[in-house]
Amino acid sequence: MGTLSPFGTAIRLHGVSKRFAGIDGIEVGVEPTDLDVAQGEIHGIIGFSGAGKSTLLRLINLLEQPDAGQVVVHGEDLTTLSPDRLRAARRRIGMIFQHFNLLHNRSVADNVAFPLRIAGESAARIRDRVDACLAFVGLSDKASAYPAQLSGGQKQRVAIARALAPEPHVLLADEPTSALDPRTTQSLLDVLADVNRRFGVTIVLVSHEMSVVRRLCHRVSVMEAGRVIERVSLDAGHIPPDSQLARWLNEFGGGSESAAPQGYAPHALAREAAHV
Amino acid sequence: MFDNIIELLPEIAKAINETLLMMAICLTAAVLIGGSLGIVVFLTSRGQVLARYRHFNLVANALINVFRSFPFIILLVAVSPFTRHIVGTSIGPLAASVPLSLAAIFYFARLIEQTLRDVPRGVIEAAEAMGATPRQIVTQVLLVEARSGLVLAMTVLAVSFLSYSAVAGVVGGGGIGDLAIRYGYYRFQTDVMIATIVLLVIMVQGIQLLGQWLARHVDKR
Ligand SMILES: Nc1ncnc2c1ncn2[C@@H]1O[C@H](COP(=O)(O)OP(=O)(O)O)[C@@H](O)[C@H]1O
Ligand SMILES: [Mg+2]
Repeated sequence: MGTLSPFGTAIRLHGVSKRFAGIDGIEVGVEPTDLDVAQGEIHGIIGFSGAGKSTLLRLINLLEQPDAGQVVVHGEDLTTLSPDRLRAARRRIGMIFQHFNLLHNRSVADNVAFPLRIAGESAARIRDRVDACLAFVGLSDKASAYPAQLSGGQKQRVAIARALAPEPHVLLADEPTSALDPRTTQSLLDVLADVNRRFGVTIVLVSHEMSVVRRLCHRVSVMEAGRVIERVSLDAGHIPPDSQLARWLNEFGGGSESAAPQGYAPHALAREAAHV
Repeated sequence: MFDNIIELLPEIAKAINETLLMMAICLTAAVLIGGSLGIVVFLTSRGQVLARYRHFNLVANALINVFRSFPFIILLVAVSPFTRHIVGTSIGPLAASVPLSLAAIFYFARLIEQTLRDVPRGVIEAAEAMGATPRQIVTQVLLVEARSGLVLAMTVLAVSFLSYSAVAGVVGGGGIGDLAIRYGYYRFQTDVMIATIVLLVIMVQGIQLLGQWLARHVDKR
């Protein structure tokens, strides 16, 4: 696939594997496989349930320790880091989840402040970032609400604000819209596109929904049985007809037109100016 | 008909004080030591952030099970040499606090470990993904997210050990249970027996109501 980005590689998984003993002792998980994500792109990981998408995503911030292989994020092999340095690296990698995983006994503002508090940021900086991130996701008026008082879409917006608070370079999203209705899904994908466009955050999005990936992603890695079996560029709006992705599209339908931001997001250095 | 009670008022006051002393000691020990133990056992259990310390988990679990399998009255007698060694005597409320504390520590450790399991794994994982240390996960995630369960666990602990402290009375531990045995049982002073039971019922109700109110109050889920 040639050069993928004018700005270099954000994430490179090389020969990573992670096996779990499944039922009947049959091993499942991720087979030795590769993943390349360019800086500033929105990269989809698609495949059927059980294909290993979540495991691959969780390998990127080492929520899963790989059995073998390298996990390089912004030039740093995370598998070689001390626990302290790994925590520091994780602070530059945001993550959102299908079921939001907010702290239920903390207010919206405290949830967004959480990653900054544990990093020991100053009160003034925390206040600024919480205000800016809640404004970005359109929830400034909910700062003192508790998660239980919010709709699913609002909870995911809080989760996005929380992930953005420490100004990450990379955002990992595991089925972020799979618990939401179609309209809420639309507006959430718009928020994610905005995160990419305005702040230059590289996004890796796991989904089993073709429509979600098509709307948002520049490129997509297709997974089957623990392996990335192909990588397709969606930028041109043209999917090679002989690809697995094209076959699935024919079989299961593909959803709406692409709404992916035109071109990759500006380089991390340039994005400072645009930052909230 | 309440002659006995009126005559015994100073004794009753003393018994209440002794019971409160035993409770204070054993609940403090349980919350500090047992609570910490329960947290560490939880953190080292399968799939949690310190799961790599599997051996610690196995040993601690076995220890908790061993102490929890002693009927309290047996534990009371079995540890009396140890009690004499550290308190100097094996009778009185201070001495009774030793076996009470031992039992309470392991009881509460198990209770806490189970309460913490109610915190969704995903929430802990989100904190890990944000770069939280194990200590931060305990203080900022587990203890916050499970706090209403923790309050209820303490309520159960207090009620159980109010009753255990009465058992300690049998071997001269003092307190309300001791009073009930000495006057209500050995001297057939039924009114004293009834008075002590009423006292215990009131205390249990008080603890339970307070615990439930507090648990509701701190729960924002
Ligand atoms: N912690 C785990 N323990 C055991 N098996 C797991 C674990 N995580 C994932 N698996 C298994 O690995 C395979 C891939 O899972 P996953 O990455 O969640 O797939 P996907 O996200 O594509 O649905 C599945 O068979 C799943 O059951
Ligand atoms: Mg998944």
